[in-house]
Amino acid sequence: MSSREILKTELAKLALGPFDSALPGPLRLQMELDGEVIVSAKVETGFIHRGLEKAFERQRWIASISYADRLDPDGPIFGELALCLAVEEIAQLTVPPRAEQVRVLLSELGRISCHMEYLVRVARAVGSDTMIHYVLRDREKILDLFELTTGARYSINFLRFGGIQADITEGFIERILELSELFRIRVKEYNDLFTYNHAFIQRTQGVGTLSSKRVRELGVTGPNARAAGFSADIRKIHPYSGYDKIDFEVPVADLRGLRSGDANDRFLLRLREIAVSTEILRQVAENISDGAFCSRKQGQEIKVPAGEAYVRVESARGLLGCHVAADGGPMPARIQFRTPSHAHLAAIPELLSGTRLEDLPVVLSSLGLGVAEADR
Amino acid sequence: MNAFLWVSSWLEGFGLEQVESIWILAPLGLIFIFLFIIVPSSMIVAYLDRKVTADFQARVGPNRAGPAGVFQSWADFFKLLQKDRNSEVSWSEELWLAIHTMALYSTVAVLPLGSLMLLVDTDMSVFLPFWAALVVALGTMLLGLSQKTVAGWYGGIRVATQAISGAFPALVAMICVGLRAGSFRWSGLVAIQGAAPLSWTAFSNPFQFIALIVFLVSGLVLLAIPPMDAALSSPDVSGGVAAHLSGRRLVLFKMGRFYSFYLWAVIASVLFLGGWKLPFEISENLLEQGKIQLLHFLELCCLMTKSLILILLVIWGARVNPRTRVDQITDFAWTVLSPFALFALIGASLVAGWGVLS
Amino acid sequence: MRRSVFSSVVSYAKDVIWGMRSIFKSCLTAIPYLSGKHDLTKEVTEQYPDPISSKTPDDLPPRSRGMLNNDIERCSGCRDCEAYCPVTCIRVEAEPATDETQIWVSIFDIDFSKCMFCGICTEVCAPGSLRHTRIYGGASPRLSDMVASFGRGPVTETQRAKWAERRKQIEDEKVRLI
Repeated sequence: MSSREILKTELAKLALGPFDSALPGPLRLQMELDGEVIVSAKVETGFIHRGLEKAFERQRWIASISYADRLDPDGPIFGELALCLAVEEIAQLTVPPRAEQVRVLLSELGRISCHMEYLVRVARAVGSDTMIHYVLRDREKILDLFELTTGARYSINFLRFGGIQADITEGFIERILELSELFRIRVKEYNDLFTYNHAFIQRTQGVGTLSSKRVRELGVTGPNARAAGFSADIRKIHPYSGYDKIDFEVPVADLRGLRSGDANDRFLLRLREIAVSTEILRQVAENISDGAFCSRKQGQEIKVPAGEAYVRVESARGLLGCHVAADGGPMPARIQFRTPSHAHLAAIPELLSGTRLEDLPVVLSSLGLGVAEADR
Repeated sequence: MNAFLWVSSWLEGFGLEQVESIWILAPLGLIFIFLFIIVPSSMIVAYLDRKVTADFQARVGPNRAGPAGVFQSWADFFKLLQKDRNSEVSWSEELWLAIHTMALYSTVAVLPLGSLMLLVDTDMSVFLPFWAALVVALGTMLLGLSQKTVAGWYGGIRVATQAISGAFPALVAMICVGLRAGSFRWSGLVAIQGAAPLSWTAFSNPFQFIALIVFLVSGLVLLAIPPMDAALSSPDVSGGVAAHLSGRRLVLFKMGRFYSFYLWAVIASVLFLGGWKLPFEISENLLEQGKIQLLHFLELCCLMTKSLILILLVIWGARVNPRTRVDQITDFAWTVLSPFALFALIGASLVAGWGVLS
Repeated sequence: MRRSVFSSVVSYAKDVIWGMRSIFKSCLTAIPYLSGKHDLTKEVTEQYPDPISSKTPDDLPPRSRGMLNNDIERCSGCRDCEAYCPVTCIRVEAEPATDETQIWVSIFDIDFSKCMFCGICTEVCAPGSLRHTRIYGGASPRLSDMVASFGRGPVTETQRAKWAERRKQIEDEKVRLI
């Protein structure tokens, strides 16, 4: 909508949501429309506020992990990992190397599954049915892997303070290696079907452009920031859980060419991250070490001394921070999360102003919002 | 010549007296076509659409109603008929739905279905469905505007913008065919084509092939058929004009959507793909033997098969490709379809002129 | 910068051809799903309530978390599960029976409408009586059906008095032996 003359009309007000097929979750957008062009947009959130942070204070330490699952239902492993790392820092627990590696495996699997969910959302926003079903079919394989090892497909509740709940099951590593082979073929198929499709590129290029400068100001992190050329990844800056021993490169969009941090760039960056995660999976699965899987006995009451810790992990959506305060009691005194989606919500108004109403689902889905995570 | 004489041959088959008065034959013929050709083929296509789409997407598709779910579309149809309306419908909405539907089904009168089943065969018969499509678009827009919902407003306006931009290339592509045939009569357009694919208009020269492609794609634009259906099913308007309709009105609207698509496929196969021409001089032999009903049936089958294949091709493209944005659709129609249509027109006229001169 | 007419026509034609090619390629990608050669033609849908579904409870992975089952014979009535349950869906009432080692678990209710199948109760269960089964179809139209009771039932006053007396007897015997 840059150079072309647009017919000006009287501004119309439109309230979209909280439930609408165009939205990634329960949100409400108060928009002013000039014809089909959005002039201004305001975001209202809190429709799935569950009081999660308060709920932590009523749970015992062991039970709090199953609440950390619910932070972001699409990527449950990241909330758990952040909580476990924080509590381990307070209680000075050591994590055996095997448990660290399994944590990396699970979080990379979770990242791929979360990114696949993202691909599905973008495909749904532009209306490509076939892509949706292909990606969902392949994501099913990851969920099967989760079920194989942890017993659940979504809310896995598998990490424990000081390690993991149980040793990985037989065949887990083999199936991860199979999967990393499979995804190489599948991503090519997605590219043929969808990524290089002219109609798709037309729909996403130049839509919802987020500049590197605004990324820094708004606190946008993760793939969205990297797609705008802002190279930041906690896995590289502050390696946790043995990410420093893994050889991988974080994909960052190169903004010298045609790239501009638009919806198409964000989509492509997710595809590249899937490839990188596949590579990490292969590396870790091939070099998995033997030994104990947890430094504590299972089902034992944990004594967390008084103290505070703040850890950051790179979730599939961006920087996930977890601040734990313990007072030495059987329950946490305060657990607070810094969620990436909350920062992404702040970017919505300026991304939407100036775009067409039809691009609204594309812009919103291309941000990869987890509304559950933002509302907590 | 009485356009509806073919009806009497079927009536005789049911043991009725020879009826010759046109005012009985014409409505009977239209009802016959609607009930025994349009409704069943819409059901077949709706079923095939879902089943083929499911096959593409490694799914099962409908499998409950009847063997392999063949009665699924009938089940949906009857279920929707039973439903009550969900909200108060204003009189203007009723009016525009009625106008939209009347414009649409007025084209049944000009629908070419066989050499003897030609209803209105005048020099302008090709253009009648085309004008009807524009009236339908207008009716849909006003239906949307009278709904007082965001989906209706934006959906309605989008339908109209699309239709205006798609009309020009479609018209030019039609003229390309008329140039070759020297007539816009259905009978004249089919007479110059043969049964073999190489003697079809579309493959007579490259310009006509371009005209076929332009005609098909601009038909999608004109009638807002997937993947050019941003006006009706893009997620931000969530259903567009149809969002506010329910029950019988929805059946009426959906049947209309399907019928316009079907109409376009039939016209495309008559104009470009040989129409109802049967190979091996079957039609002449049958005419000599006086087996009129068999001839009707075979020609209809030939035409329907071609149309069905066209429809399936469009569905294939629609399910795989993303939906296009409305402003991109109009851009596409003006900057890509129209130049190509004009290019095809120039080429086709040169070829026609060459044929006349040499 | 103005481009020449020729170069803009060429780039226009290139654009059109590229667009048509990409769309055609997308269409071709879906074709292997129709032909019978590939593994791709297999449908992935699980037709869940039908017997034709390939998945049965036996096919589930070993750690699959289904409905909970409590082996009441082994249950010690320690109430750890009740204390740790994040959603407080377990209700236990237990009282001493004949002697201290034997506990009569009168009520052991699990409200599956609240349960989130996190598996913490099975982890903290010291005697290992509370376990996940592989049964997953627990849907019911009535909320009251969702409560599974494993308890041995309420204790009558006379029974309680009898047990108290018996416990006292055993106590006395112990004292006498000492």
